[in-house]
Amino acid sequence: MLVMILAVPLAGAAVLLLLRKGDKNIISVASAAVLALTLFLLKNVFGGGPVELAIHLHGPYAPVLRADPISALFVVLAAFIWFAVSIYMPGYMEHEARPRSFGVWTLLTLTVVEGVFLAGDPVTMLLFFELMAVTSYFWVIHRGYKKAVRSGNLYLFFSIAAGFLLTLGIVLIFVATSKLPEVGAVPATPSDPHMFGWGIALLVSGFAVKAGAVPLHIWLPHAHSAAPTPGSALLSGLLIKVGAYGLIRTAELAGCVREAGNGVTWLGPVLIAAGICSMLGGVAAALLQSDAKRLLAYHSISQMGYIIFGLGIDFYLESARDIAFTGAVFHIINHALFKAALFLGVGIIYIRTKETNLYRLGGLWRRFPVTAVLMLLAVLGITGAPGLNGYASKTLLHHAAGMAAGTGSPWLVWAERLFVLTGVGTAASFAKLYYLTFLGKPSDDTLIRNPGDDRVSGRMQPGMNAAMALLAVVMVGIGIAPEFFVNTAVIPAVGASDVDKAVADLTYLAFWSTGDVIGMVITLLIGVLVCWVGLRYGIFHRKFPVWLTPEGLVKLAVQGISRLWRAGTGKYTVLAENAHESGSAVKARLYSAIRKFDRSRSSTIGGLRLTGISADAAILFMILAILILWYTIIDPGLHDNWLPFIRPQ
Amino acid sequence: MLYLILALISGVAGGLLVLLTGRNRHSLSNFITLFFSASAAFFCWRVAFLVFAGERVRFGWKPGELQWSLDPDPLGAVFGLIASTLWLFAAVYSFGYMAGKERQRTYYAFFLLSLSVTVGVAFSGNLVTLYLFYELLTLTTYPLVIHDRTSGAVRAGSKYILYNLSGAGAILIAIITTHSCVGNPDFADGIVLAGCDSPVLGWLLVMFIIGFGVKAAIMPLHRWLPEAMAAPTPVSALLHAVAVVYSGVFGILRVVYSVFGYELIGQLSFSKVLPWLAAFTILAGVLIALRQDILKRRLAYQTVSHLSYILLGAFTLEPWGLAGALMHMISYPMMKMTLFFCAGIITEKTGETRISRMAGIGRILPGTMAAFAVAALGMVGMLPLNTFWGKYYLMKGSVAGGMWPLATVLAVSGLLNAACFIPVVVNAFRGVRSPDRTGGDALQGGEIRSGTDSGAFGDGNDGNVLSRILKDRRMALMFVPALLLVLMSIVTGLLPGIVWPGVQAVTDWFFQ
Repeated sequence: MLVMILAVPLAGAAVLLLLRKGDKNIISVASAAVLALTLFLLKNVFGGGPVELAIHLHGPYAPVLRADPISALFVVLAAFIWFAVSIYMPGYMEHEARPRSFGVWTLLTLTVVEGVFLAGDPVTMLLFFELMAVTSYFWVIHRGYKKAVRSGNLYLFFSIAAGFLLTLGIVLIFVATSKLPEVGAVPATPSDPHMFGWGIALLVSGFAVKAGAVPLHIWLPHAHSAAPTPGSALLSGLLIKVGAYGLIRTAELAGCVREAGNGVTWLGPVLIAAGICSMLGGVAAALLQSDAKRLLAYHSISQMGYIIFGLGIDFYLESARDIAFTGAVFHIINHALFKAALFLGVGIIYIRTKETNLYRLGGLWRRFPVTAVLMLLAVLGITGAPGLNGYASKTLLHHAAGMAAGTGSPWLVWAERLFVLTGVGTAASFAKLYYLTFLGKPSDDTLIRNPGDDRVSGRMQPGMNAAMALLAVVMVGIGIAPEFFVNTAVIPAVGASDVDKAVADLTYLAFWSTGDVIGMVITLLIGVLVCWVGLRYGIFHRKFPVWLTPEGLVKLAVQGISRLWRAGTGKYTVLAENAHESGSAVKARLYSAIRKFDRSRSSTIGGLRLTGISADAAILFMILAILILWYTIIDPGLHDNWLPFIRPQ
Repeated sequence: MLYLILALISGVAGGLLVLLTGRNRHSLSNFITLFFSASAAFFCWRVAFLVFAGERVRFGWKPGELQWSLDPDPLGAVFGLIASTLWLFAAVYSFGYMAGKERQRTYYAFFLLSLSVTVGVAFSGNLVTLYLFYELLTLTTYPLVIHDRTSGAVRAGSKYILYNLSGAGAILIAIITTHSCVGNPDFADGIVLAGCDSPVLGWLLVMFIIGFGVKAAIMPLHRWLPEAMAAPTPVSALLHAVAVVYSGVFGILRVVYSVFGYELIGQLSFSKVLPWLAAFTILAGVLIALRQDILKRRLAYQTVSHLSYILLGAFTLEPWGLAGALMHMISYPMMKMTLFFCAGIITEKTGETRISRMAGIGRILPGTMAAFAVAALGMVGMLPLNTFWGKYYLMKGSVAGGMWPLATVLAVSGLLNAACFIPVVVNAFRGVRSPDRTGGDALQGGEIRSGTDSGAFGDGNDGNVLSRILKDRRMALMFVPALLLVLMSIVTGLLPGIVWPGVQAVTDWFFQ
């Protein structure tokens, strides 16, 4: 069955490629089949136990596929999001070039993403991870214009770098434990804890690149906004979750031997710090964006920050472990749902208006009433409004943050405050997005009342809103009954050390306590207020100095390095030229000396005039000289048998 | 033993036969070339399997005081396998590439002679025999380097001879010194220098490394290699990315593991420097490659870099490092030859040699550039391709040997390799081919109209890329070997167990 999950989309891609006229439905049929298979797998795994498929091969690589509860959950999530997007795709891709090529890459990416989640050993995981970088690269460059290609290259290079970090990490852990670790299993106790710690650090940084954690996120906004919308939705909805999944697995690997004193205690604080930086940095950058897709891309960084923060607390604080881990996994699911929905909504508006600049849009609820409602649900979801799914996972994470702050450590107290601040920022930037797109006054009236455009490009595909609606229904379902969803899906999946206790804890920390709801509503209101103030006084247009942003810093660093590099190579070129010139001069002098020597000799050899001595002869002569020198002066100890060929021992 | 002799003389016999054919009997000489390359490969496989099975295949001859012997151990068998198998691919490619060119008879004759000599290097059983074939290799490949007879080619040939003969001189000194200490025993009988307690061992190692380092292109002894790119492309692909340079690498592996042995060499202070020398060459080679605009020169500098991967693995003196070196030795030529083959096709079909003028070439040659793209990823060392395994084991070896910075050098070099080739590919598919061929940054064109743009799966006109290629016979002869190499490298990347027995035989042989 594990092989089937990988084979079905692969076969779909092959069929799509081989058919003369690409059939639009192949993608959704294949995704639906994968979804069915994965649901079946989930049922088996939750009911029975891990499903494993080991291919016994001789040599260094024996691939293992394994589905344990957590990977089964991710597999289902991927299949579901893919299915939703595949419903949306045919309608959208009518407006883009080469829909078939895009479809092939989409199905291939589905294969490799499921492969990453199902991998049972790190090398298989790395295999699919690298393949994922390549297949999704074609999404990013799909539109083919200069900026997209540059974003794609940035994405590819970061992915390759991440791959190398992972390779190095695997190597270090292998050497430290003398065994290839298994994904999700207890590793051997490291004989070299120090090296093991470094291995974990490399794995964390490799996956953090993919997860878009600040400061390794530089590629993310570019890549996610350059791809066609279904690609953006899948990149932001799922592909960065692969990074989070990797972090979960790495933390598992490190946590299994946490007690052995292996020097990975730094992991918790580092993840918490990275999470907070991503949350705040992402939100701050998102507030300043005017492009809808870039805004969403920065929010992906911010929301990944929540997840990384949760994983950090999970690793750091024993008492908050279950709730933080549950919250993080829950938020992964929720973010996949609403981020995909948001991108799809923005895409619907884009293909109708050819515009993603927020300041040129406005008042679109009249033209897109259904989309406006669905968008509102997604916006409420991501901002964490009570009654939608974002609220539930953010509440869990907030409780975890509160427990961490309860330890009294000042920087954890601050972490909790910054957590709330991020909530305000999120609300503000989504208020801005929604207001500018659907409510405010458009700069250009034709945007609202130009049905002619719709007539020209045909009727709006019902599949596009249906895909959003599918996501929205699940979001609302989770939002209304979070306890049910968490108890049936998330807690068994995270394999909490004591499921009953975890369920009891979560019931105790009820989702609907008045304090939480009121706190969230106040956060949202402050967010809207901030948005109003920002729009009123044009704060969102302010250009910040370049050194204040991570991108700017990196750009400055790159400029500095390239300047140094150019200076260095310039010096080197000058040096090399000089050396070459002096070398030629020496050579010329040497040649003339040899010639002179040769000429003077030639007179002594009666009649035989040896001119134009060749380079070969000179070399042989020199070798002979070295030989003589060697056996007479440098190492005369070997005098007795200096002609070994004639007189061997 | 018969197999051994047959493997060795196949090339010579074929070469002489080619010389006997008429001047314009091209199809006959092609057939002879194919037949004798295939027979050499076949017998090499037979010998190799006997050797891997633990049998000793030896042929010795002692005309006077000197013992000549052919006595492959697993390392020699692996090298023989690599060289003779890849020769077949290069032969088929040559049929396409050389069609309609001058001096084909000379070309094929020396092409086959070089095969014999390379097999001789691989199977040589002692230092003197190794030296003989090593020296002969320079001489038999020289006519191939100057094949075009242009002034540039002749100058390159002089440089080639000068560097390689100087290196051989150093080896000669070292061999005489070794001989005076321990005589001339077979490699298969154990470590050559075991029991030799001479104060000059350190200097001996230096001499050997300098000597073989010329062909292995250790910096700063690499300068002949980019010059030798004046040769026809199949020669560059086979000899200057694989056979000739590998005979240098093979010599160093012999010196480290057969002549000195990893225990003895670990005690010499010079051996501590060697991995760093290799690391320097790895980084410097690829950095210089980044600055080259002529595609073949870029490939040549990158060869310099990748040869040092193998040396780095050998110099770690760890079983894993040696395994990595062998894995890289097996997998790297597949990708590198693909790159060269594609470069040759580009030059033949469009006349372009400069990277800056290759924008938009992917539209004309989609299949070629797709193969090039896969091979470019192979140079990076990503996973579905077999070069990953070499890199993986090299990293393991260097970490296990306590030299973790070397592992980071490998990772950084992988990234630089990506910077070296991926832009070429992207530019080829996405850039605009300037009609006046003035070159320049092709992406300057701004937004490309996507309608005319056919990517790897361009809608409408795909599916017949392969059939279009196969219709052009010359193109097919050049493209199919490249495609096969790519497929081979994907298969061995996913199933590294295929090549593992050979690698394991070598590591077991030297680390018992």
